[in-house]
Amino acid sequence: MSEYHEQPDPDAIQAMMRHRLTRRGFLRTAGMGVAGGVAIPSLLAACGGGGTSGKKIWDAKEVFSGQPGDMINFANWPLYIDKAKDSDGNVYYPSLAKFTKETDIQVTYKEAIQDNPVFFGKIQPQLSAGQPTGWDIIVMSNGWESYVMMQRGWVYPLDTSKRPTFDKYAVGWAKDPNYDPGAAYSMVYQWGLTSIAVNHDLVTAPITKLDDLMDTKKLPPASVGMLVDDMKDFVMKNLGIDPVTSGPPEWKEAAAWLLKQRDTGVVRGYYAQGYTDELTAGNVAASMAWSGDVVYYDVWGGYSNLEFLVPEGGCCAWADNMMIPAYAANPVGALELMDWYYRPDIATGLQIWVMYMSPCTATKQGFLDEAQAAEEKGWKGYASKLYTSAKSEFIFPSDEFMSQEVSWMRQLKTQEEKDEWDAIFGPISEG
Amino acid sequence: MAITSVREPSVGGPPPPVRRSAWGITARRRLAGYGLAAPGTAWLLLFFLIPAVMMVYTSLESGGVMTGYRFNWAWGTYPEALAGRAVFFGRSLEYALLTALGTMVLAFPAVYWIAFYGGRRKSTLLFMILLPYFVSFMIRTVMWKFILGDNGPLLATLKGWHVLSADFRVLATPFAVVMGLIYNYLPFSALPLYVALERIDPALIEAAKDLFANRTQAFLRVVLPLSLPGVFAATLLTFVPATGDYVEAEILGSPSTRMIGNIIQNDFLVNADYPKAAALSLVLMLGMVILTSIYARFLGTEDEIVAAAVTA
Repeated sequence: MSEYHEQPDPDAIQAMMRHRLTRRGFLRTAGMGVAGGVAIPSLLAACGGGGTSGKKIWDAKEVFSGQPGDMINFANWPLYIDKAKDSDGNVYYPSLAKFTKETDIQVTYKEAIQDNPVFFGKIQPQLSAGQPTGWDIIVMSNGWESYVMMQRGWVYPLDTSKRPTFDKYAVGWAKDPNYDPGAAYSMVYQWGLTSIAVNHDLVTAPITKLDDLMDTKKLPPASVGMLVDDMKDFVMKNLGIDPVTSGPPEWKEAAAWLLKQRDTGVVRGYYAQGYTDELTAGNVAASMAWSGDVVYYDVWGGYSNLEFLVPEGGCCAWADNMMIPAYAANPVGALELMDWYYRPDIATGLQIWVMYMSPCTATKQGFLDEAQAAEEKGWKGYASKLYTSAKSEFIFPSDEFMSQEVSWMRQLKTQEEKDEWDAIFGPISEG
Repeated sequence: MAITSVREPSVGGPPPPVRRSAWGITARRRLAGYGLAAPGTAWLLLFFLIPAVMMVYTSLESGGVMTGYRFNWAWGTYPEALAGRAVFFGRSLEYALLTALGTMVLAFPAVYWIAFYGGRRKSTLLFMILLPYFVSFMIRTVMWKFILGDNGPLLATLKGWHVLSADFRVLATPFAVVMGLIYNYLPFSALPLYVALERIDPALIEAAKDLFANRTQAFLRVVLPLSLPGVFAATLLTFVPATGDYVEAEILGSPSTRMIGNIIQNDFLVNADYPKAAALSLVLMLGMVILTSIYARFLGTEDEIVAAAVTA
């Protein structure tokens, strides 16, 4: 240890922090460090939470020049893509199989994302060290983590001249979302609602408003699931606050409601994922939920005891966005695939499977066409499910429904805001 | 069994070469000693010292993912990280203590029986204790969640017979978490206890009886003291990892059963607050070192030496 007893050289550390490390640069500095007796600090600067502040500027035209590579690594959430079985019984993804057939680009699809912050935590060290993450497309919800990646140049800005299908079919708001003006960094994969799911076998009275989620007369003890990331905005919305323009005083109001709810002992868990298992297992009577999950179980899963509903105070909307992480090997191919998901037939196939909302405006017609074709083949059950789904506000929301019942969520924009937000809401889910 | 560092050259062997100086021999032996210690040293350096130093370093950084992290001796992180967290440290210690006790109570009689009455089937019986642990840890824990579900196979049946009231539950209670911990750590208690008990010569118990000790006295005065090294090892191997565990609390517990491991995991992975997570981990680590050294003072070293001397 004796050679490490000296104080680490502050200038060396500062220099390490200021300059983004390339791998070679890291090895060189680490090597020098061993000689100079500052091995550990410089190693730490490279491996630890380190990284620089400031933004890496990319030139979209330059990034997206050239030919696509022959492989795309695609990270997505579980149960979030259309699946089918071939004649040998192997599961494949029709939308990706068609893409490969048309473009000759292979796609490696992994269900690698279960939670926005956790996935961000996994790729953040590489990105802050200037190294590739191994992914060409990632799907993350709008929110703090996505925003940080856009601000710090950890995702490539998109060449907006290379997405003709998106230009033609994307729904109006998706071309200019509030979290990413001009859709400069991201393209919506699916979007959806955060509201309440109820298991009718377990609740003892109808759930119609937010306060019902802490009403111990309507719900057994420890039987309510809360979504840890979405609950703050959802509670604000239901307290009559517009989450988008909210500030610390409103956050404290929502936190007070959440604390009061926790103290009744009605909360089973603060979930990032996995609440659907609790719902279907009958451990949870009512839970905050994402529209597609519950609609899927209701329509395709045969769980007719589950219902997705919007309380009197309204609900929240979010979008899961495809983005291309910086240093990705095949950005050109990735953008091509992102645009591919706006093709009406592809978008329809995906939406029928996942039952979320599509950013492609042509899928409602796609549902109706598919239903008609099914009817002609005599598949009556399937056809009627598609007809019913085409009428659902939770799959094809009307403008009226969106403007009256639904709010987007608060976009935190600075580290100070994020720290204050965490300080106010953190203690609730800690228990 | 004392271990001598440098053994004298054996008397009966071939005479040492005349020209080789005494210095040469000791130097070589000393080098050999270092050589033998090298893998262990490398292990400690790579898997303990460097990570520990990195943890200290990270805990003294400040900033966030948007602004980047900067090392600036931010000691203030420690009080900030610890504020309001005493309850989680306390809960972890409580659950870990119950785990160490519970595994001991379950494992001791079982392996005692195997060690003294297992006969030729000793290994088979021991293997049967270990058998469930061939299944993945996650699957076993998640299966408990299925079995014990509020309307799962077990409780639904008992509720159907009106043995239990309709809103009785096991999951999301401290009992479920501690039970999960005991279940998962059982072999870490059973194996060291078995090794200690198996080493005891049954003749010693016969001798105690010859000296007019009854069964209880023989157990308390002979078997128990001789098994103490095993008890010591078993407690450490269950108590220490159980304190930092978060999986059972996550899967079988509720917000009111969260342990310090859950808090650290949350700070690290969800809030991306690496300095706070590192500070908490360090405090936990130091706390465990202090607690285990106190424990070792009382039960560990001395008795172990005595016991080893007796068996030798």
